Amino acid sequence: MSFRIFGSNGFDANGLGRNDLACNEVLNSFVLLIDGQMEQPEIALVEVHIAACPACEAELAHEQAVRQLMQETLRRSCNEKAPEDLHDAIYRQIHAQMAGTFTEVVTQYSMTEISIEIDEFGQVEHREVTIEHTEEIRFLDPNDGSNGQGR
Amino acid sequence: MSTDLVKESSADRAVRFERDALAFTDQLYAAALRYTKNPHDAKDLVQDTYLKAFASFHQFEPGTNLRAWLFRVLTTTFINTYRKDQRRPQISAGEVEDWQLADAASHTSDQGKSAEVEALENLPDSDIKRALQEIPEEFRIAVYLADVEGFSYKEIADIVGVPAGTVMSRLHRGRKQLRERLTEYAKELGYTTEKSSGVKP
Repeated sequence: MSFRIFGSNGFDANGLGRNDLACNEVLNSFVLLIDGQMEQPEIALVEVHIAACPACEAELAHEQAVRQLMQETLRRSCNEKAPEDLHDAIYRQIHAQMAGTFTEVVTQYSMTEISIEIDEFGQVEHREVTIEHTEEIRFLDPNDGSNGQGR
Repeated sequence: MSTDLVKESSADRAVRFERDALAFTDQLYAAALRYTKNPHDAKDLVQDTYLKAFASFHQFEPGTNLRAWLFRVLTTTFINTYRKDQRRPQISAGEVEDWQLADAASHTSDQGKSAEVEALENLPDSDIKRALQEIPEEFRIAVYLADVEGFSYKEIADIVGVPAGTVMSRLHRGRKQLRERLTEYAKELGYTTEKSSGVKP
């Protein structure tokens, strides 16, 4: 992005290169220079002026110092932490939205193990029954066509 | 981007939102305090911002700047719903797009320079925040986004929804007003000395 800085892009009406920028043109350009919004050949024009003008040079140094100081001061002052109840409210709100948007699906897995040992006389010697039960909850979006198993 | 992200399910996206977006709550809250000027509205604004951001998170392009995207949602939400006086004429209506503003630039005195630096070095945080609150809203938002959050002109233009030239003009005027106010406070509080440096330009 570049802004037109010097009325005629640094060239006068006769097409002659300008190297005689007025102080007020140079001073007005500092904001763009400091913000990194200026490009060549305009940067060079400003540098040429500054090299020969101690007042503008001092002004640029001051502007740079104030900009940095201002940023440090603002960053130090504006660093409030969000209250804990705001964090909680946002978290709850997002989860409520998730629940409202997605269909809840409950899948059950169960596994039963039965082992029976019978001895040579036909008597039941040992019996063991194990039932395992797993419940899984997944969120499904009815619109996105996936099967909810995700990956 | 990997194709995994394209096929991402809503549930996965929600998990990603929670993981990535909620990390910015403090930053958004501090900005909301500057926007709304009070903790109650700031909390509401941040909550609204997350609600809107969550609902439109599918529009966010992974790999792009999430912080800038969230600030856009925050700023748009503020401008559309929290602005206290909607009928107040907008500065932008008559805003000069040209960055070169009416006030003529001139060299400042050495006393002026040192007074400014002293003000910035000495004023308490409460005065800095008060000064920021007192400058017009459009300027305040631009200055905050540039000087606290460090966004570029182009990013601010996207966040606020105005041309980059307007951002530049608001920033320039906002910073100028802020500096004037801070120097003024410092004088009132006696932080700056009006000593003569003895050097005249």
